[in-house]
Amino acid sequence: MAIIEIDQLSKSYRVYQKQEGLLAAIRGLWHREYRDVEAVKSIDLKVEQGEFVAFLGPNGAGKTTTLKLLSGVIYPSGGTARVMGHVPWERNNDYRRRFALVMGQKNQLWWDLPAQESFRLHQQIYQIDREAFSNRLSELADLLGVEKLLGRPVRELSLGERMKMELIAALLHSPEVLFLDEPTIGLDVVAQHNIQQFLKYYQQERKITILLTSHYMKDIAALCKRVVVINDGMIKFDGSLANIVESFSGLRILRLLLAEGQTAEGLERFAEVESVELPKVTLRCPREKATKSLSNILQHYQVEDISVEDPPLEEVIANLFNATE
Amino acid sequence: MSVEKVKSDHPNYWRVFLTFARNSLVRDMMFRTNFLLEAVSSLSWSLMNVGFYWIVFEHASSIGAQTGWGKYEFFVFMGTTWIINSLVQAFFMPNSEEFSEMIRTGGLDFAMLKPIDTQFLISFRKVSWSSLSNLLLGIVLVVLSLNQLATRAENPWRLEPASLLLYPLYIACGAAILYSLMICLAATSVWLGRNQTLYDFWFYITNFSRYPMEIYARGWGIPLWLIFTFVIPVLVVVNVPARLLAQPLTPRASWEWPLALFTLFATVACLLASRWVFQKALLSYRSASS
Amino acid sequence: MHAFSISNRIACWWMIFRIALEERLAYRGDFALGTLMRFLPIITQIFLWLAVFESLGSGDASENQLAGYTFSNMVAYYLLSMLGRAFSSMPGLASTTAKQIREGEIKKYLIQPIDMIGFMLLGRVAHKIAYYAVAALPFAFVFFLCRGYFSGWPDAEVLVAFSVSLILAFLLGFFLDLCIGLVGFWFLEVSSLLFVYMLLNFFLSGHMFPLDLLPDPWSWLVDLLPFKYLAYFPAAVFLGKVERDQLWTEVGIELLWLLALALVARFLYARGVRRYSGFGG
Repeated sequence: MAIIEIDQLSKSYRVYQKQEGLLAAIRGLWHREYRDVEAVKSIDLKVEQGEFVAFLGPNGAGKTTTLKLLSGVIYPSGGTARVMGHVPWERNNDYRRRFALVMGQKNQLWWDLPAQESFRLHQQIYQIDREAFSNRLSELADLLGVEKLLGRPVRELSLGERMKMELIAALLHSPEVLFLDEPTIGLDVVAQHNIQQFLKYYQQERKITILLTSHYMKDIAALCKRVVVINDGMIKFDGSLANIVESFSGLRILRLLLAEGQTAEGLERFAEVESVELPKVTLRCPREKATKSLSNILQHYQVEDISVEDPPLEEVIANLFNATE
Repeated sequence: MSVEKVKSDHPNYWRVFLTFARNSLVRDMMFRTNFLLEAVSSLSWSLMNVGFYWIVFEHASSIGAQTGWGKYEFFVFMGTTWIINSLVQAFFMPNSEEFSEMIRTGGLDFAMLKPIDTQFLISFRKVSWSSLSNLLLGIVLVVLSLNQLATRAENPWRLEPASLLLYPLYIACGAAILYSLMICLAATSVWLGRNQTLYDFWFYITNFSRYPMEIYARGWGIPLWLIFTFVIPVLVVVNVPARLLAQPLTPRASWEWPLALFTLFATVACLLASRWVFQKALLSYRSASS
Repeated sequence: MHAFSISNRIACWWMIFRIALEERLAYRGDFALGTLMRFLPIITQIFLWLAVFESLGSGDASENQLAGYTFSNMVAYYLLSMLGRAFSSMPGLASTTAKQIREGEIKKYLIQPIDMIGFMLLGRVAHKIAYYAVAALPFAFVFFLCRGYFSGWPDAEVLVAFSVSLILAFLLGFFLDLCIGLVGFWFLEVSSLLFVYMLLNFFLSGHMFPLDLLPDPWSWLVDLLPFKYLAYFPAAVFLGKVERDQLWTEVGIELLWLLALALVARFLYARGVRRYSGFGG
């Protein structure tokens, strides 16, 4: 049985203009302007134990809503979901002890206290044995390289360090399923890389199941074999990263290094010219014509080096989003 | 899977609370100057109040004719007010304030993930230790005043074992009633948005609880007395425990024991109501957010 | 200092006034309701004092007197002292001034051709006028409801003195708060000082109870201080607690206090700026 099973899950909610102030609020009691928003529209998904799945989609696509539904924080308006056999929104303590949610934009650690104090609180709430707790903590802190920072107030930590502490807090009780919402948002390249490396290692070591949403294609390329593209509350694609490019980009990119004395003149006959920085030329052409164009170019020009690439993932995804809107 | 100890479904709430209290203390000690300032400010405010009533009792023999609230009886009443208020301010006030903030910022999501009762987690997260300075002052005032009452020439006060037991019980009831009121007001931010006016409302409502209830028992005070006793029972919060301690246990007016019983009932009812409102608010939050 | 022409200046004042007014009026409904709620504690005060007056002397509460106050006088006093506070309280003035000094914002007054004290006074005037524009209604409503506690209007002379005392209360409140704020030139952290000042102010201005209730050495001492003009004095004037022949003498003394405090504020400012510039800012 799959560890996560989602069947026709949907979530719509009514928004009304909440107004500050008592008078406005009292008026709002009998007169409200509603608007229905469908955040998730009938999603079906199965995730097996040990998978590392990425949710990809623009802002407001429904990724975070799906994660919140699976964490049981909010109620669906239709459909069912089971995670490890539990219905998330029943919020059984048993279920809540077996998963964790990390949100990159929010922190759950006590701002003014050293992170270790928040961890101790987790120990109490999640009923972690004293010994298991200290083992886990030192292992995680060691892996993330933050042993020396445990005693420092969270407000004095950098964004990256804070994220690492959030991860420790989420993993202390050894969750079997981990939901990560934008875990690397706003981090510098080094911190992003560290966190990627950690997640990769930890997932392979523990064989836990992870669902991740991210804007950074690098996160996804580095971590996830399976990608689920969500846009407008629906699943648009479910497969491997390589397949996305196959299915959604009909283009190939040809990079040429022209021999000395050659100009780029006339290249537009064979393919669309993207940029010319002699001796480098970048061209793009439809996938099926790539071979033909290439042989034509080689006939007419002296080329030192040549490479054929898929377009950058970001571009493919951007096209994908545009196409599905 | 390794062999693990079978976990009970709920964590040890007492130990979780102790961790909350400990963490808050660590935090308060980090801002020591602030801590001292807060403690000193609430102390001096209370002392000013003593000064005011001292002056009033220079002129008047009691609050209301034949009510039995003479100078030192009233100081017992005031000390009781401080004890209850400082308990509320120490344990519940910071949490209620944070609750409306969490609804606004979505921090409530994290609270809901934890394998622990959400209302417990929300209600006890923080302890404002500096507010307990008034608890000490309240106890001191009560003890000093009782001592005065016990040593007076006519009709000296005697320590009754029963009131020694009932006093803490009714203090707890009073704190629980105020807690329920506060958490209900905070929970309304799910529907009304953040609302400063509601907090002002809280202060004005509890303002009614700070005086002996006899003063309302006349003319257009009677509807107020009825509302604040039976609908929003803030009047019994201080009155019942203070009366138990300051006035002799016997003889008692016919309405006093029923009122004491009613207070127990009101406490349970308020706690249940707060539970209900909290669950409703949570339900509404979970259905209405994405 | 004289770079602005008079018309420019008026235009500038008008802008400050309008901005302050709009800021206030944006939430006027809420604000009026909030002002109304501020009177709620009066209800408990009425019952408390009724109970206190009952226990004095004879059984009839309306006959009894406490330090020269009848029960109605007492309620009227509280209402009038709230009116006085509406003029003399300066929410946030001292703390903003101290903050501006601490964070170096004070520099703009040194660079631009504006007189800081004048500028702040103007801002306050605008704020207060905006406040009265909205608060007048709830105030009028409450006073109307409580008209029974007043024994008619006092005569014209008292009314004039009362109005003058309210305006002087505003100015006195402004300069007192400003002086506290300007102490920020010497002490970076003034919040504890501010708190002590606030408490003293509440007690000594007569906001908590009529100052006539104080026993003797204290009442003499409090009478010497300027705080009584912030709430007690206007109310006492209205209620005829100030002897007719003392009335204008007292107003004169209040005026002297005002002058003295304005001079102290100027002095503190000048010294503070010199000290500030001396340190290189």
